[in-house]
Amino acid sequence: MQRPLSSFAFAPAVKVKLINAGFHTAADLCDLRPLQLSKESGISQQEAVEVLQTVRHDASQGAGAGSRMTALELLGREQAMGAIVTFCSALDSVLGGGMPVGKTSEVCGAPGVGKTQLCIQLAVDVQIPVCFGGLGGQAVYVDTEGSFMVQRVVDVAKAAVEHCSLLADDAEQREALKVFTVEDILSKLYLFRCHDYVELLAETYLLPDFLSQHPEVRLVVIDSIAFPFRHDFEDLSQRTRLLNGLAQQLAQMANQYNVAVVLTNQMTTKVGNGQSKLVPALGESWGHAATQRLILHWEGEQRLASLYKSPSQREATVLYQITGAGFRDVLSSDHASADSSAIPSGNAPKRLRTQADDHQT
Amino acid sequence: MNKASSAAMVFLREGLCPGLTDEVVQALRAKNIRTVVDLVSSDVEDLAQKCSVSYKSLLAVRRVLLAQNSAFPVTGADLYEELLSSTAILSTGNASLDKLLDSGLYTGELSELVGGPGTGKTQICLGVAVNISCELKQSVLYIDSTGGLSANRLLQMIKAKISNAEEQMEALRRIQVCPVFDVFSLFECLHHFRSTGHQQFLAGGSSVKAVIVDSVSAVLAHMLGGRQTEGMSLMMQVAGELRTLAKDLNVAVLVTNHVTRDGNGMIKAGLGQSWSHTPRTRVLLQRIERPGSTCSSLRTATLIKSSRQPCYSMEEFDLRYWEQCEEKLHGLQGKRKQVSNSPG
Repeated sequence: MQRPLSSFAFAPAVKVKLINAGFHTAADLCDLRPLQLSKESGISQQEAVEVLQTVRHDASQGAGAGSRMTALELLGREQAMGAIVTFCSALDSVLGGGMPVGKTSEVCGAPGVGKTQLCIQLAVDVQIPVCFGGLGGQAVYVDTEGSFMVQRVVDVAKAAVEHCSLLADDAEQREALKVFTVEDILSKLYLFRCHDYVELLAETYLLPDFLSQHPEVRLVVIDSIAFPFRHDFEDLSQRTRLLNGLAQQLAQMANQYNVAVVLTNQMTTKVGNGQSKLVPALGESWGHAATQRLILHWEGEQRLASLYKSPSQREATVLYQITGAGFRDVLSSDHASADSSAIPSGNAPKRLRTQADDHQT
Repeated sequence: MNKASSAAMVFLREGLCPGLTDEVVQALRAKNIRTVVDLVSSDVEDLAQKCSVSYKSLLAVRRVLLAQNSAFPVTGADLYEELLSSTAILSTGNASLDKLLDSGLYTGELSELVGGPGTGKTQICLGVAVNISCELKQSVLYIDSTGGLSANRLLQMIKAKISNAEEQMEALRRIQVCPVFDVFSLFECLHHFRSTGHQQFLAGGSSVKAVIVDSVSAVLAHMLGGRQTEGMSLMMQVAGELRTLAKDLNVAVLVTNHVTRDGNGMIKAGLGQSWSHTPRTRVLLQRIERPGSTCSSLRTATLIKSSRQPCYSMEEFDLRYWEQCEEKLHGLQGKRKQVSNSPG
């Protein structure tokens, strides 16, 4: 049972030449040397070497086709991968622990609702040491809009460090805190700036190499993926193709290198049946791209996050707020007036979780 | 059944059949006759003269090659008998879906689920996999190209049907998972499954009864269109591979596809006209837009292509169907927290 040559990943020109020369399956090629093959089919020696290497590699793979496994093994792998907390416990429980590692997630929202804030919070939270329940990883931030503010990262990092230092109660955690400072957090955050879609596509091709050199990276944020694709695109079908190809590459990267990929998207107005509603940008087919979709929206003065699409969690909507310390829960109504109205200084730790109350004296 | 091998257009080699010696092969090659097809389709007398090979031996070689590479005809009655004994109907686990599909997924056929994002295609695929693994105790190959497969979710659905932890692990072991993110990895996965994986499962006592590809449009859609020449060819190869897989190994193949809008704004399945001939059965999934409820797990399934049932019949079902037993077991507490909209 031999594989036809047309199902291998060769260049179309090479395939045509091979088929015209009479080679149709992998079996036809296995006894040949590169020089023979290049003479018979008219391809260059270099191409002949590559073709034979691919065919022989496939034949020697045998039973284990690389990444195939049983669901039981996948379960073990998933449990080991974990999730990145957002510090908003309501949102974390809706997401099943946080942003899942190994999958692509999309965050959509109108301007100013908090997408970049969430991304910055995640870039800090992924670095929380393992003994505090975090992942102890590094983060890659691809900025296409220019909305990345280092000062904001400093504020969020300070709040996270203070939160952890309040929770530290054994020697191991105090040890870990020594390497969890604002300077360390900033040094483990890799920032890439892309100005247009060509740079973004090129960056996505180069990211796998970067990730294999930095195996500690657990989060890749692209903020935003909509911005470069919404300007100056005449051919919309080409845009759809590029986006779909990009989505598949990101999904592969997430799966292969065990990173959480978070993409930010903008909103656009869709007019239909005389009504208009706000939908995520980049078209309907982009909706299939990310595994999980989170939509942030306003309701009067309050900010809400809805889980719109997820294969493993139920749809739900929660309230959240952006404070000086970052992305946080909205607390019960007697605290709400004090917390949500003022722009806080960021020095005194906010009431992030109820455990913090126990540690405050 | 049809025994035409896929290596029909094989290279002419010495020893392929008696009478095909090295000198004959070289002589033929000098006249540009390289493959079996070239030899069989050319005039033997003419060839014998040009290559100075004996006419009788060339004719004998041609006859042997034809016999080796042609298909055997089968009568309709035999075919029917074979289908009756080998086809199985696999229930999807959801009664409304089964009603729509004429009691379930048929082995030897390709069925397709189409729908927009968030309409439940992955959930149904997971539900089908769990049902086949738990109820029928057979194996499933799940090819995931979107990252939508979550083993935790599978376990949740399995727990609704089986309460014994050992059996739950057994059920999980029967579901084989293969993540692929581009079309060439898909070919590799299917090829390896055909040549080796199938036997592995037979040894374990359960055979693979279904192959689920979620989703086939994710790996193909971006290769079609523009100035790309290979897209259509790869798509039709995928179609051919899946259909022969279904027929030869007697499995039910379930694929998912996205939707696009045509010129009038009507919803149609993705991947175009050519792909639409590939699946035997096609089901369109849609959300139910009910005013007043923001988060709903209700969906409608419409049969848009079938060779057995009248088309455009619609069924409503709840995506939570596959966990319903769980709610009965745990009462109102449930494993999922219902997060309310009110603050705090």
